[in-house]
Amino acid sequence: MAEERIELPQGTLDLLILKALALESMHGWAISERLQQISREALQVQQGSLYPALHRLERRGWIKAHWATSENNRRAKYYTLTPRGRKQLEVEITAWRKLTVAVAHVLDIA
Amino acid sequence: MLNDLLYRLRALIHRREMDAEVDDELRDHLERETEKYRRAGFTPTEAARRAHLALGGREQVKQQSRDSRGTKFVEEVHQDFRYALRSFARTPGLTLLIVLSLAIGIGANTAIFSITSTLLLKPLPYPSPDRIAMLWLRSPGIGIPQDWPSPGQYRDIVTQNHVFEDTALARGDNLILTEHAKAVKVDVIRTTASLLPMLGARPMLGRIFLPEEDQPGKPETVVLTYGFWQREFGSDPNIVGRSITLNGAPHTVVGVLPAKFRLNHEVIPTVAGIDKPDLFLPPEAEAKDPGNYGSENYNILARLKPGVTMSQAQSDIAVIAARLRQEKHRDPSFTISVVPLNDQVVGNVRTAVLILLGGVALVLLIACTNVANLLLSRAAVRQREIAIRAALGAGRVRVVRQLLTESISLSLMGGVAGMAVAALGIFITRKIHPGNIPRLDELGIDLRVLGFTLAISILTGIIFGLAPALRASRVDLVTNLKAGGKGSSVGGLSIRHDKLRGALVIAELAISLPLLVGAGLLVRSFVRLAHVPPGFNPQHVLSMNVAAYGPHFQSTQRIQFYQQLTERVSHLPGVTATGAVSALPLTPSVGWGGVLIEGYVPPANEPELQVDLRVATPTYFSAMQIPLIRGRMFADTDTRNMPSVAIIDQAMANRFWPHGDAVGKRIRRSDETPWTTVVGVVGVVKEYGLDTDARMVVYYPHAQVPAGTMYVVARTTNDSASTADAIVHAINAIDPEVPVYDVTTMQQRLQDSMARQRFAMTMLGGFAGFAMILAAIGIYGVMSFLVTQGTADIAIRMALGAHRASILSLVFQQGMRLALVGLVVGFAGALALTRMMSSLLFGVTPTDPLTFFSVFALLLLVALFACLFPAGRAMRIDPMVALRTE
Repeated sequence: MAEERIELPQGTLDLLILKALALESMHGWAISERLQQISREALQVQQGSLYPALHRLERRGWIKAHWATSENNRRAKYYTLTPRGRKQLEVEITAWRKLTVAVAHVLDIA
Repeated sequence: MLNDLLYRLRALIHRREMDAEVDDELRDHLERETEKYRRAGFTPTEAARRAHLALGGREQVKQQSRDSRGTKFVEEVHQDFRYALRSFARTPGLTLLIVLSLAIGIGANTAIFSITSTLLLKPLPYPSPDRIAMLWLRSPGIGIPQDWPSPGQYRDIVTQNHVFEDTALARGDNLILTEHAKAVKVDVIRTTASLLPMLGARPMLGRIFLPEEDQPGKPETVVLTYGFWQREFGSDPNIVGRSITLNGAPHTVVGVLPAKFRLNHEVIPTVAGIDKPDLFLPPEAEAKDPGNYGSENYNILARLKPGVTMSQAQSDIAVIAARLRQEKHRDPSFTISVVPLNDQVVGNVRTAVLILLGGVALVLLIACTNVANLLLSRAAVRQREIAIRAALGAGRVRVVRQLLTESISLSLMGGVAGMAVAALGIFITRKIHPGNIPRLDELGIDLRVLGFTLAISILTGIIFGLAPALRASRVDLVTNLKAGGKGSSVGGLSIRHDKLRGALVIAELAISLPLLVGAGLLVRSFVRLAHVPPGFNPQHVLSMNVAAYGPHFQSTQRIQFYQQLTERVSHLPGVTATGAVSALPLTPSVGWGGVLIEGYVPPANEPELQVDLRVATPTYFSAMQIPLIRGRMFADTDTRNMPSVAIIDQAMANRFWPHGDAVGKRIRRSDETPWTTVVGVVGVVKEYGLDTDARMVVYYPHAQVPAGTMYVVARTTNDSASTADAIVHAINAIDPEVPVYDVTTMQQRLQDSMARQRFAMTMLGGFAGFAMILAAIGIYGVMSFLVTQGTADIAIRMALGAHRASILSLVFQQGMRLALVGLVVGFAGALALTRMMSSLLFGVTPTDPLTFFSVFALLLLVALFACLFPAGRAMRIDPMVALRTE
């Protein structure tokens, strides 16, 4: 099964995290679970690379973090999309679409 | 962007908290992941294993998270820096030597750079100062190197030149201000209206002179300087329009100049020798007379038209000078020279300053050599440590960065210490400032120099840190670790295997020697100079300027005044003799003119005979202890009704009456004046300084040629200030309206006359001292490095039976061989370099053998001492201990 998974291209992890957080605030583990689920287990998200990515996004001001109590009374660090993050998400989605269309076009023609 | 920076800053400050948070977060993640697997039916151990596997290396994740916070670089630098400090603490001696070398090099450099920029580079505080020039008459053929022009010549220059935009005529003068109870001597400059605007002066109050005030028949007006206005009129804001009394006549104050306007003796050396003018007056009547060629007492300043060079101006003025030479029958060597104002001001200090600058460059070179040397040693000793770090996975970049951090820290410490040295140097320079070096009172560390220092110090760190760092980072791990890290590249106890280091030591000594020789020559010159007999006895002689002039001082009153003065002062307690002269030796006062000798017809090509003219009271010679060689002194009977008499000095007697028969011969000042009989011959006096040969002198008795302004001298039993006060008081008691000023001892005047030489000597001596210390540090550093490297070598020799004495001589031989080579090279260099100093030397040749050999011996001794400690250490090595640690 593992062999069928696609390695995430450089930079797309940020996009996926932003997308996952667009719906609601989540803690780290939940984000990794969500990414697995919505990509229908097709994408290989290295759990280890998730956390450095979260710090990077926070540094850029696209997400914010705060500690809160989770469903079973455990403290967890929740990440929320900031307004700037939301804009960035749109920018990145547009860019991604353009890229995929262009790449697909090239592939079709060639 | 701002957000990003704030985040990084926060991350840097709350580093620990953020690390703990990541820890918590990862733990939470692992717990949830484990739970997930448990729920899926795995055993707790298996679930935990899978969870860990999915996350990957926890420490790695933590490290990556830390990296993505963007503080990695700063943290590493911080780490490097802490590490550097620790390594400095481990080798305090070496660190101290490096910092000291840098501090001396950078400090001396900054101090001298500040001085140079103040003296030579800082433009004069006038608008486009490079276009202002001063005009001088020169007649080198008849022994007049420089003389003041006259109003007639000024008029010719103004009307005939094609190069000047503006010209100004000025004359220094002394006046008496009688506004207060006691008369005050006032230094003034009488000038055309053009001078002040040419120097960029704007009035702070009122106005400056109007062009029409250059014309005859205008009311008497004055413009005050700020200092004078403040001192004499208590900064009275309503001064403009007020009348003040100068030389008994009312003058209206029309303006006050601002505080920042500076004009002093260095810029405009007036005939009156005044230091700073207190006020300005319009030109007097004789200056307004275009036919006045006789009164050569004026300064001419000119501003060049834009685009005209100084040499163009010079050739234009040469034409006018040639015309004057012909029309006015001047001597054939007569010229008018155009001197750029800056040269005028800096003049003869330039050579000294440039030599100092060369000296400092050499010191900086030695300092850098030292630092390079010591850093190389440092890196070599640490090869094993670097090899270990490399083996533990430190990248090459990381190692180089570490070493660079260290050397930059070192150079920064050196830079800071250097600033302290510079500040100290400037403080000392200001302290010893002789007062007659132009513009030195403006000295201070300026910010540009500070930046320059920091740049040098950091650059030194980078350049001299990079080479050893790169070399050290290219280490061969295996060889180094195996070799026990004592530097496989170095061949034990022989400098021959380390040519670079040896060359550095040679260079240091080769550079130090010329510096020390230069300083030595200056010291010898100074000693020679100080031993030149001035022609009078300067011990316990008080001197002061007394100005008995003004409308109520006609000839008779002047004679009476000075007779009364001599009478009263000589009876004061503590005074043994007193007298007066019109121009005292070693003061700016002057007086010269032509003389004709009965029976002597000058050859046709020889110009008019010029001599120094002095007026003296009968007791002047005995008070100064100027010896009488032949004939008699002036007597009280040499009055106006008696035949006119003169005393000449021995220089004149020897020239015209070499057979000792001068007494009774007759001289006169011009064809119109009656003959004067020579009644005595006195010793030669150094009028202009110990290093200058005076012209021939003719003295006239005051009772026959009554001058107003005289220098009064009094030989006293001690130099106490109370005696001086008593004398001034006694003179004031005769006439309170006669100002007394410039009160000081002849000893002090003598000291002041040597101030320039003392300054140059002290400065170059300081450098040479620094150079010597640095060279000693250099030899010491290299030799002790050699001993450290060669410990095993020495231990083996000892174990094989070598005597301690032979070890000692081995180390000595190594060090002294380098030292000797360096000294020989330096000796040759000094022979070539000191020739440039000849203008600064007095009574010593630039290749003075005594100086050369003493310096050679001194440096040899210093080198010997520098080797002594490392050699002693080598001798005390315990072979057992040394070999075991290997």
